[in-house]
Amino acid sequence: MRAWIAGILLLSAPGAHGAELVAAAAVSLREPLSAIAREFEAENPGTTVFLTFGASSTLAAQARAGAPLDVFLSADPSLVERLETEGLAAPASTRDFARNRLVVVAAPELETPLEEPTDLLSPGIRRIAMPAAAVPVGRYAREWLAERELLAAIEERVVQTEHARATLAAVSAGNADAAVVYATDARTTRGAKVAFPVPRSEQPPIVYTATQLTQADPAANAFLDFLSGDRARRHLEAAGFEAP
Amino acid sequence: MNDADVFGIAGLTLWIGAIATVAVVPIAVAVAWSLVRHDFPGKSLVRALVTLPMVLPPVAVGLGLLWLLGRRGPFSALWEATGIDLVFTAGAAAVAAAVVGFPLATRACEQAFASVDVRYEQVARSLGLSPSATFFRVTLPLAKRGVLYGALLCFTRAIGEFGATAVVAGIIPGRTETLALGIWSRVQLGENSAAAVLGAVSFALGLAAMWAGERWLRSDPP
Repeated sequence: MRAWIAGILLLSAPGAHGAELVAAAAVSLREPLSAIAREFEAENPGTTVFLTFGASSTLAAQARAGAPLDVFLSADPSLVERLETEGLAAPASTRDFARNRLVVVAAPELETPLEEPTDLLSPGIRRIAMPAAAVPVGRYAREWLAERELLAAIEERVVQTEHARATLAAVSAGNADAAVVYATDARTTRGAKVAFPVPRSEQPPIVYTATQLTQADPAANAFLDFLSGDRARRHLEAAGFEAP
Repeated sequence: MNDADVFGIAGLTLWIGAIATVAVVPIAVAVAWSLVRHDFPGKSLVRALVTLPMVLPPVAVGLGLLWLLGRRGPFSALWEATGIDLVFTAGAAAVAAAVVGFPLATRACEQAFASVDVRYEQVARSLGLSPSATFFRVTLPLAKRGVLYGALLCFTRAIGEFGATAVVAGIIPGRTETLALGIWSRVQLGENSAAAVLGAVSFALGLAAMWAGERWLRSDPP
């Protein structure tokens, strides 16, 4: 029993020096946010930023279950709103910081032509990768497909993936034939090819929102300010994100 | 992925496995000894309960632990009062690893104690040794190899734990990301070569541990 307690105390003891922030972020932010966090650490010696990426919906559920997160960067503002309503996120800290768009990607060896939305119905497209509707990109993709009246027809060809990047990885590896993914994600791979972008007029509004969780480390606020600043903006724009 | 990441992940995994094993083995020894040397009502039910974490889906174990350790569970007042907040920490990963490793350790200890001839214990008692002295100076030394083998099984199971850990500890790089969790998150990201590096480390650790076990702890002729 003593070993139990000693072990648990050792493992759960906070770091002995400097501030440590845990930032949970939509996985589509992976590359620019990693660069932003490194710059923030360089500018704030002694501060360490731990990044955890996943589906925004999964991260929100973890925050709700008591995960020790300081900031949350969501690909869907409604997830942040819900945390605010539950008293888990601080509304005053919440800000929009980027926008994204949808594109349709095809597997590298796909032989079926995929040039417009109705091509998704062709029998050559056997598997379409898509996360559950709770995951932001899954919801955005479904909204667009439903708007085009394609969703019901392709539903049974959907293979469910974990999050935005896993959707892209499924197509890049050829395990799925096509997917609706973020434009920024499509740029990160040489595997999956962009078949066509979702037309501007049909794009659902995709806004990235950052917030500070209520029990956050005081350094969280500085990190959020840095995220809204010019240097962070350059990283986000280089990755293909648009200004909010 | 750089070498520091690989060492960090492997180090955290071994550390969690070690904590879990050190915590579990004394309990496993006690439970196994009571099961082997004592008869009591409901013994078969206790045996079944001991084995349960081995046969339940690990994610179900994780769900249960999340409830027990969480802020909305039955012990929330206790966690509040003591300031212990394990959920989504390496401590939670160690608890998950301990729970799934427990049946393996207990089963191995049971076999070890069952193979100790009761007559040695009776002789020790007849020569005036107290029950606890008999246990520590006669039974335990005779069962040592089996108990250590159980500890090793518990450790290897603990360092490979995935399902329960992912639920109760999350996957926070640098904090709770063990080898198994790191492989999963990299496969999800399409980073198959990084996943393969972590897979190779898992393979090497598992093989080394089991080989050591076969060589030094099971070399007895049956």
